[in-house]
Parts: sequence; C-alpha cells; structure tokens
Amino acid sequence: MDAKIAQMLFSVIDELNQMRPTDDHLVKDLEMPLSGDSGILDSAGLINLIAVTEQKAAEELGRPLVLTDERTLSQVNQVFQTLGTLAEYIHLRLNEKNDG
Amino acid sequence: MDNKSLMCVLVSDFNLQNLAGYVTNDSHFPSVKAITAPFGQPVATLLNRELPCWQNTPDVAVIWTQPQSVAPAFKALLNYERVQLQTVLQQVDEYCALLVNMSEWVKYALVPSWVLPSYRSVFGILDMQTEIGLTNTIMRMNLRLAENLDKASNIYVLNTHDWIAQAGIQAFSPKLWYLGKIPFANEVFKAAARDIKAALRGMLGYARKLIIVDLDDTLWGGIVGDTGWENLVLGGHHHLGEAYADFQHALKSLQNRGILLAIVSKNEEQVALEAIRKHPEMVLKLDDFAGWRINWQDKVENIIDLMTELNLGPQSAVFIDDNPAERARVKESLSEILVPDWPDDPLFYPAALFSLRCFELPSLSQEDLDRTTMYLSENKRRKLKKTVSSLEEWLKRLAIRVHIEELHPANLQRATQLMNKTNQMNLSTRRMSEAELISWAQQEHHWLWTLRVSDKFGDAGLTGIVSLKIQDQRAQIVDFILSCRVLGRKIEETMLARAIHHAQALGIDNVYARYIPTPKNKPCLDFFKSPASRFQQQGDCFVRDGKQSFPIPEHIEIVLTQK
Repeated sequence: MDAKIAQMLFSVIDELNQMRPTDDHLVKDLEMPLSGDSGILDSAGLINLIAVTEQKAAEELGRPLVLTDERTLSQVNQVFQTLGTLAEYIHLRLNEKNDG
Repeated sequence: MDNKSLMCVLVSDFNLQNLAGYVTNDSHFPSVKAITAPFGQPVATLLNRELPCWQNTPDVAVIWTQPQSVAPAFKALLNYERVQLQTVLQQVDEYCALLVNMSEWVKYALVPSWVLPSYRSVFGILDMQTEIGLTNTIMRMNLRLAENLDKASNIYVLNTHDWIAQAGIQAFSPKLWYLGKIPFANEVFKAAARDIKAALRGMLGYARKLIIVDLDDTLWGGIVGDTGWENLVLGGHHHLGEAYADFQHALKSLQNRGILLAIVSKNEEQVALEAIRKHPEMVLKLDDFAGWRINWQDKVENIIDLMTELNLGPQSAVFIDDNPAERARVKESLSEILVPDWPDDPLFYPAALFSLRCFELPSLSQEDLDRTTMYLSENKRRKLKKTVSSLEEWLKRLAIRVHIEELHPANLQRATQLMNKTNQMNLSTRRMSEAELISWAQQEHHWLWTLRVSDKFGDAGLTGIVSLKIQDQRAQIVDFILSCRVLGRKIEETMLARAIHHAQALGIDNVYARYIPTPKNKPCLDFFKSPASRFQQQGDCFVRDGKQSFPIPEHIEIVLTQK
C-alpha cells in the first residue's frame, strides 16, 4: 500500500504542476517540504493539494479519504510538512478504516 | 507563428487562480500569460480602468462570474423569493453595459455563460417555469447576455455548459468552494483553458481552413479498389454505414461554415472518382472538394502539392486518415499540419471531427461561406491559364475588376479578419481589433482602402488592404495586405497605384514602405524588391520619390467608391 500511496501522490504532483509556473514545479520526492516554514505551497496550493489528493485517492486507491476534517487540520503543519509525512498520514488513516 | 505571450486578465467574483495556471501552462499556440484581478470584485474591476490589471493594455480579458454576483434579483430568486423576470434582465443589461465599456480597454473579451449546479434543481418540474424556475431564468439571462454582447465586435460569450459536461458529475466542487472560493473542479478549468486558447487562435487568424481526408476506411468503409464502389460500407441500414455517412454529413456541415475539403488518397484516381460520382449514399459530391490528389505517390508530397495549388500554408490544414502509419508520416514531415489521433472505431468519427478545437472564427463573413466556390473558380482560372500563351493574355481574359473603397462599418469586419489572418503578402503584419482598426483609419492624415477582386469566374471578395499615413511631407504605406487567393494578378500593383496616386494628389511625391519581417511574409519582401513595385530598397524601407505616375495595370478595371 505504501508504494501505491507514493505513486498516487506523484500523480497528484503531476496534476498540481499543470497549474503551477514551470519554474516553480513540485518534484516527485517524498522529502519535498510542502507546508510550514520551509514549505513550497501557499494556502491556495495547499487547498489544491488537499482536493486533488482526495480525488486521486478515490480514483487510484479506490478509497474515500477526507483531509479537511478537524483532526487533520489541527495538525496541518505536521501532516503536510513533506510529501513523505502526508504519505504516512494517509497510510495511517486508510489502515484505521481497515481496522474498523 | 509569433511566440510573443499574450497578456490575459481574469476577472471574477470567485477564485480563478487555477484557471490562470492552466491557461499560462498550456503549451499550445498562442503563448498566454494570465493574471487574476482581485477576486470578489468584478463590478468594481470593470468600473476602474486605473487598476493595475488594466495597465499595459491587456490583449484579452476573461470575465467569468456567478449569476448571483451580478444580478441581485437572481440572488433573491436563489432564495426562492418572488422576483420579476424583467428585473433580472434589467440587471443583466446593466452588467452588459459595464462589459461593453471595459471592452475598449482590451483587444478581446471572453465572457463564459452562467451556470448553476445541477443540485440546485430542487423543485424539478417547476425548474423550467418562467419567473419561478432557476434554470428557466438562467437560460433567459444567458440569452440576454449573448444578445447584448453581440453588438460589441470584440466580446465573445463562451459556453460554460460544455465545460461542465466535459467535467462530468464532479464539475461543481463544494470542497474547493468552501476551502478556496473555487466553485468548479479543475476539469472545468482545463476545458475552459482549451476553449480560451482555441478562441484566441481564431482571433489571431490561426483557425484551420482545410480538412484533407483519406478515402478508404475514412470517408467510407472498405477498399474501393478491391471491392468496387457498389460494395463500400456507406449509409443504408448498417451501423457502420450510418457512421460513415454521418461523418460525411459532419464534413459537409463544416464546409457550410467555410472550411475547405480536399482528398489525399492512395488509390486509382478513376476508380475513386467513380465511387464518389456513382455511390448513391455519398453525401459529399466532387464539387464539395476544393482539390484532390488520388494516386500512389507519397502522401506528404501530395499534400505539399495540393496546398501549393490551393495557396494555403500547412498551418491551415488538418489531415484525417484512418491509417496510423500515414498519420505518423505526415505528422513527422509536416509538423504544422494538425494530424489528430483518430479513433479505431468509425462509430466515433463524427464526434472526433466535431471535438477538434481548431476551426474557431471570431466572425463569419460571406467570403468564409463562399470559400469552396471561390476555390472551384480558381481551378477554372488555372485551366484557362494552361490554354493561353502568355500571362498578359491570361490576365486580359480573366476580365478582372477591382472595387476600391475606404474603410466603413459594412466592410470593417471582413477587413479586420483579413488583416488578422494574412501572413504572406503582409508588409507590417499588424494585428488589430475592429475598434482599433477603425480608430486608426479615422485619424487625421491616415487613409485605408479595401479592395474587392472579381473576374469572369467569380468574386474573390474583400482580399486586399492598403493604408497610407502622411507625416512631414512623406507618405508611408503602413499596411499592404493581399490574400494569397489573388496573388500574381497584378492586384499588388493596383494597390500601390491607389496609394501613390492618393499621395501625389495631396502634393506628396516621397512615398515609402517599411517592411517588418516575420517568419511568413517573405513574399511581400520579394514583391517590393521586384521591378514590378518600382521602389528602391533602403535598409528595411522601400522608397519611391518623383512625380512620375504609377499606372494601374491595363487589364484591370477599377471601380472606386469614395466616402
């Protein structure tokens, strides 16, 4: 599942780059900082990341994912610190659903 | 093609940042740099020319609003309050007046039509009732919007419903709306960006004018050389036959809008032509084709030959062939020709043709509608040329008549269209909107004439523009534009004669033309360098000084209409 999540997030990056200036493209690297002090995304970029990630999770993983709930937004800088932290969080959330 | 980026301003009551990204990143011609005006203030933005977004005269503005933000009465209707339709429409009129006023600040303005999320049809069967139904009201508002903006020559209403349909059930995004004031999913913006770019290509004169089609398994099912025309799959009560017939109907409908059709096919010419003439279900007749090359030669060579005959450049053409190998060969060798990927299944041919976003014209002139007839007349001229002994004899027998008249509202649309799409015989390649062109021509010491060319085979329509600017006792030929349809018939000399005669009548003998090179306008340079122009080259200028007259070619009859 981890590899699938990473792959899904890379397709999210492809999608987001279609809207970003060519000299400001996001890279497909799990270490890439997203949000917070060293983050690349502004608030509009973060909104698009959330919306596209939810859409791609449904399309590519076949799993509904909500990233606008209070739990996620209360730790937004941790969850969206890098692409890797986002992947770990998605893994956690999807496994919780499996457990339930 | 000119790679300079167009400046595009996006004005909206919602967040259009994503659309700006898609439009700017779209790699198709033309290059566009999109910026967003502060969102949430469309009316204030349309009222204030001093805002930073309007500085430096943007090329195009896209004004995309939600209906409730420009028509408060519609907002009340959304709350199911009682509202008179007339009040809503009056507010649409007021909004349109703002748009028309703003349109003077830009070359072109695009206004996407209004849409409502499908989930707002709460009351189902009441939705289409006048003054009650939201959909009924939105339809009337859009109709009023289109009717009002029809009067402005540089504003075009775009069909948002098409983008919504392309995006499907997820077109409206509550998530993006609540998080970022973005009402639509990104699929809607992608479709919008495609249409905006297609519209701009049309406005800049890069709409495709010619569709070159293959025959076997493209225009009909089967190989005519193997099966004979009697056994082709075309029409009748057969799903494939119906699809091929519909594809021909689709081509015919585009031809009715001025798109030329031509054939390039590997076949025995007589066998193929017999099929076209004799098959009872053929929708397209031989007269529907401006030309054809049906033989066993390489298709690339045939296309080049055909386009030379039709006086069209490769950027004008679309090539449709069922064979991927032929498509790849043409795509590789003639990169400016549009070679769309083509469905394997003929049932999708008509839809694939209509989905091409390359035929968009900013206006539809009589010349557009008569284009095929003009090319058939040109074939007759060529046949005549083969029977006479000299160029002079041919020109004399054509009985050419040139109507010269100044720019006025009735010829403005066609003159602007010619100015914006002529690449080869074009001295300065100025691209202007109707408003800009008439404004330039009305300035003191400026003159602009249009030329309509006809002969015994037909009327080529408004095909020439020459303009003159007088300053410091010198006359500058600013525009020298001639459609390739009438090149080589000494219309060029007629245009110079008109300009020089006018300057001399004003007592000015020093006439010059400044050639501004583009990748396409070398034919114009060649003409000015030739003895026929009687100009001397001085750097990038061509100069003529002296009192000697410039006679109109003998074989041309002039009809001059003065203001």
